[in-house]
Amino acid sequence: MSAVPLHQLAPLDLGLQTARDLLERRTPDDALPITLAALARLLPAGLRRGELYELVGDRSSGRFSVVLALLAAAGNVGEATVLIDLGDHFDPQDAVRAGVVLERLLWLRPADPKQALAAAETAISGGFPLVVCDLGTPPVPGGRGAQSHWLRLHAAARSHRAVLLVSTPYRACGAAATTVLEARGGRARWRGDAPPHRLLQGIGSRVVLKKTRGRVPESAAELTLRRGRL
Amino acid sequence: MNRIACAACPLFPLAARLRAEPELAGEALAIVEGNGQAARVLAATRAARRAGVRPGSTLTQARALVPKLVARARDIECEATAQEVLLETAETFSPRVEDGGPGVAYLDLHGLDRHYRGKEPAHGGIGREEPERELGKALLHALDRERLPVRVGIASNKLAARTAASLFPTPTVVPAGHEPAFLAPLPLERLSPSIEIAETLERWGLRSIGELARLPAAEVASRLGEIGRELHASARGLDLRPLVPRSAPPDFREGMMLEWPLVNLEPFLFLARAALDRLCRRLETQGLGCARLEMSLRLEPDGVYQRSLTLPSPTRDTKTLLTLVRLDLEQHTPGAPVVGFALTAQPDRPRAAQLSIFGPAALSPERLATTLARLFALLGPGRVGSPALADGHRPERFALADFRPPPPPRVRAQPPRARGLLAVRVLRPAVEIEVNTRPAAGGSPAFLRPVRPPALPADPRAVVAVPSRQRSAAAAGSRPAAGASPRIEGAVRVASGPWELEEGWWTEAPVRREYWDVELDGGGLYRIYRDRESDLWLLDGIYD
Repeated sequence: MSAVPLHQLAPLDLGLQTARDLLERRTPDDALPITLAALARLLPAGLRRGELYELVGDRSSGRFSVVLALLAAAGNVGEATVLIDLGDHFDPQDAVRAGVVLERLLWLRPADPKQALAAAETAISGGFPLVVCDLGTPPVPGGRGAQSHWLRLHAAARSHRAVLLVSTPYRACGAAATTVLEARGGRARWRGDAPPHRLLQGIGSRVVLKKTRGRVPESAAELTLRRGRL
Repeated sequence: MNRIACAACPLFPLAARLRAEPELAGEALAIVEGNGQAARVLAATRAARRAGVRPGSTLTQARALVPKLVARARDIECEATAQEVLLETAETFSPRVEDGGPGVAYLDLHGLDRHYRGKEPAHGGIGREEPERELGKALLHALDRERLPVRVGIASNKLAARTAASLFPTPTVVPAGHEPAFLAPLPLERLSPSIEIAETLERWGLRSIGELARLPAAEVASRLGEIGRELHASARGLDLRPLVPRSAPPDFREGMMLEWPLVNLEPFLFLARAALDRLCRRLETQGLGCARLEMSLRLEPDGVYQRSLTLPSPTRDTKTLLTLVRLDLEQHTPGAPVVGFALTAQPDRPRAAQLSIFGPAALSPERLATTLARLFALLGPGRVGSPALADGHRPERFALADFRPPPPPRVRAQPPRARGLLAVRVLRPAVEIEVNTRPAAGGSPAFLRPVRPPALPADPRAVVAVPSRQRSAAAAGSRPAAGASPRIEGAVRVASGPWELEEGWWTEAPVRREYWDVELDGGGLYRIYRDRESDLWLLDGIYD
């Protein structure tokens, strides 16, 4: 079957020669892509559908930049995405620079964690393939949320084959998370000696895979983020 | 030759009321008109009629016959809605439909013979069912689903079709050209002559329509005038009145007047749910969705309370619309008991999309509309949408647009490599901070701390060297809610800046800022600025 000329399967001008070409175009298990090199090394299969990913990181650890990069990657392959922005931190200008396709992004600005969790469940059941829930900076108003809420959201993601990514300043999802990544020790990089000639170049941090299915934990990668054009 | 179908709903005020309150169908119910002793029965259910309740009898007489008689006042709102449903359902069969008055609709059947060719008889019978009879049955079933019991007549003109619609069995089909023969045996009352004319015809000894038709037309006209001439033409099955199609109304409306005033939300929502259910079914029949829902509540003793709910995307999901109604009324209570309501849906075409086989799965437009409406109901306006770029230079600016994702590519493409850019968490609103500056280093920040809450007395030992003019300019309005702002405090390890930002100098509220990037000793990289208009320091972003 895979060697059958594609024109016999469907008269489409897709730039493909055989059905094998088509199969090769698809990512394994139809996972969502990761285009950030450091993260792709830790999760080579991409973001698997039906799983709950927890991204933990303190202030200035690069956590929000990773979130934008994942939204950008999914949007660029044509997937619709959702950002549940509990802290109302999203900046469209910044997102465009990071490559996020704004037209494919549904931006939700809940007022409290209860609304955020309900919105996540509604978005997952609405068929969105990637739902990102950013809990903002510490202290998260209203706490981490009950464990049962996260288990319920994971079950919803599994039944609707969605990827749920929870970006949080500290562990919140507990046993519900299938994969846990932690960004540690963000260090600023500067150029120049003193103001006004000193410029922020970016930050470097270390992303550690704390928990995953089928891979050895505690593998880590260096994440380098540079500051874009002002 | 023209063929016209007539759908007529007998006892229309009763049918309209039962459509709104279907649980009363098995009860002895009477629709009454008038108040107090003048209240008279307009129509009654079969259970009431069996007990002897007749149209025209007073409510007191009816109650004497049936003590447990349920009486409902005639509801014009219900009838208007039922009439609209009748016409809309008829329009799903024919593009040309005439509003024939309460409970009556005429359909032009021209061209429909290509859709209804007749069915093979069941159980091995002989011959095919007439196409028009099949159409009539389909119309009956469609209106039955809308809880409107109608009778259908099909003929070559409106008069014969209307007459056929009043007969059993239904549907009654009068073959083309057989209208005079069809009408001939029927009593003259079927032509609805005026009382004077009817008395005259009775004196002439005429009983049936056929007897009138056999008289010379000129003689009838000379004795009865223009009315007589028209009546004679009707008796011969001639009706030259053309079918006048109605123009489609711009909105869909459901509502009812209540028997008693409602003061609680739950009973109202119970009734609103049924009305929304009917509204959504009507929208579905027309292939439309609700883009805006308008509520009109009639209050006691008088007054109307109106609300308008705009949806992010056309939907016909009852649960979602009901949630929106609930949330809106919880926030904006009418302030008086409700004695009637009307829900009007402004329709729009639901979004359509061609789903791809090989590319990423597109969101189902119907499902997306429902999801957006639910999120809108959950989070409220201004909190759901697609982010958009806004003009200006202030970092906190943003715009929110309707979420209308473009269709996904036909084939899944490889995404470009990430640029690995550092993002900023914008703080909306910016958090006021106290900043100790180094005058020798060009005024660069040296120490940050949150602004002390004004209710607490300042500890003189903890006060850092902040210029007094900065401390005195307290902007209470710009302070965020407690617990929402991140706590940052510490000595500045590295600072970079300043960068000037100036915007709107020609307006009454110009923006003049001096931005700095600062890294604190304890970790954390922040974007702060000094507002040169108020001389306040504010934290507006965290590099993350």
